[in-house]
Amino acid sequence: MNIQEYISSGIVESYVLGLADEAERAEFEEMCTRFAEVRAARDAFELSLEQHALAGAVAPPAHLRETILQQFVAEPAVNINGGAPVVQLRPIRRSPISMAMRYVAAAAIVLLAGSAALNVYYFKKYREYSQRYDQLVARQAELALNNKAMQTRMGGYERTIAGLTNPNMAKIYMDASAVPGNGSPAPGSQATVLWDTRTKDVYLMVNNLPQPESGKQYQLWAIVDNQPVDAGTLHMDEGRMMVKMKNIPRAQLFAITLEQEGGSPTPKGPMYVMGKV
Amino acid sequence: MGITLTYTEQELVSLLRNRDNKAFAYLYDNYASALYSIILQIVSDAELANDVLQEVFVNIWRRIEQYDTGKGRLFTWMMNIARNASIDTLRSRSYQNSRKNQSIQENVDTLPVTDINQPGIDTIGLRKVLEQLREEQRTLIELAYFKGYTHEEIAALEQLPLGTVKTRIRNALIQLRALLK
Repeated sequence: MNIQEYISSGIVESYVLGLADEAERAEFEEMCTRFAEVRAARDAFELSLEQHALAGAVAPPAHLRETILQQFVAEPAVNINGGAPVVQLRPIRRSPISMAMRYVAAAAIVLLAGSAALNVYYFKKYREYSQRYDQLVARQAELALNNKAMQTRMGGYERTIAGLTNPNMAKIYMDASAVPGNGSPAPGSQATVLWDTRTKDVYLMVNNLPQPESGKQYQLWAIVDNQPVDAGTLHMDEGRMMVKMKNIPRAQLFAITLEQEGGSPTPKGPMYVMGKV
Repeated sequence: MGITLTYTEQELVSLLRNRDNKAFAYLYDNYASALYSIILQIVSDAELANDVLQEVFVNIWRRIEQYDTGKGRLFTWMMNIARNASIDTLRSRSYQNSRKNQSIQENVDTLPVTDINQPGIDTIGLRKVLEQLREEQRTLIELAYFKGYTHEEIAALEQLPLGTVKTRIRNALIQLRALLK
């Protein structure tokens, strides 16, 4: 829009007569500072309006003059009593906002900024501690697990010692050298059967057996009247602990063979150790 | 009324800001009639207009610091004070008079029509000029300038699109300027 169009759009009259809205007023005031033509158009309309108003003036009742002017004589007297007259040097457009409110607002802004900064700070802290907490929980769980494993092992060893020291426990030493025929595949092999003479429960303790290849498992046999009876398979991860096997009421020999994992109904694999009751 | 300007507007404003009583007397002598005419055109009641004129001079006295010479002439500023005070008075009056049952819309319908038709009022000031406008334009200026309704309110009252209201008021104002010259 060029300036002439703007001037002749009716905005000048709208502004001067107080009919323009806030946005229009702001724009017009801006245009006035930028364009002398706009200012000149405003001045011209104002002047014609003023002349018209003065020409069409209607005199108010004469007594009003005294009443009105009297008020202004009275008002400054109040100021003089209070000291120097209060002369405001600048137009105060936003006078309803008191100084106190300004301080309150300023304080509120400062507090808000401070609060925001603290929020950031504490959030960082929170994340840091949250991470540390997670780490601690993980470690605690790990320790609890280790502890449980240790207790299991301890229990095993306690039972082992109890078994070894139990006077009712018969100890049958099985040895590679006792293996008949072609002999043991691992000559240094040794294992001990602990046989509770009262309950007939059989426990096995490995002294020395090679780690079986994967898919294979050691199996204990009780030889009863020349017939092999399954006495259970052995898990090597139990270590040197005494492991409870099956209940065997009577037997003359005990032997260990290497079988397919899960055990076999009859011994098929090579014999590693054997011992007489 | 022969007005002889003895002060420039600048001088007058700075004297008024210094609470110079003579300057106020000068202001009254030179502008009270013009302002009274504007008040009368809006409130249309002489008793009421007397009260409003007092209020207007009190406002000028109290708010002269707020007058910004860069934004227009002193008279324009005073004229707008007179217009606003008149409309405020009219509204509070019509509110008090019609508290019982009317909505704002009814006030608009009842008040202006009787006022406009009152003999004498439309022969002074802007109203006289308005007589030369078309009926529809006159109604809009009546509502906007003399009743102080916003364009939105007028659009609702007249059941016209806001854009139409704005355009018609602008066109009426352009004609008004031509008529004032």
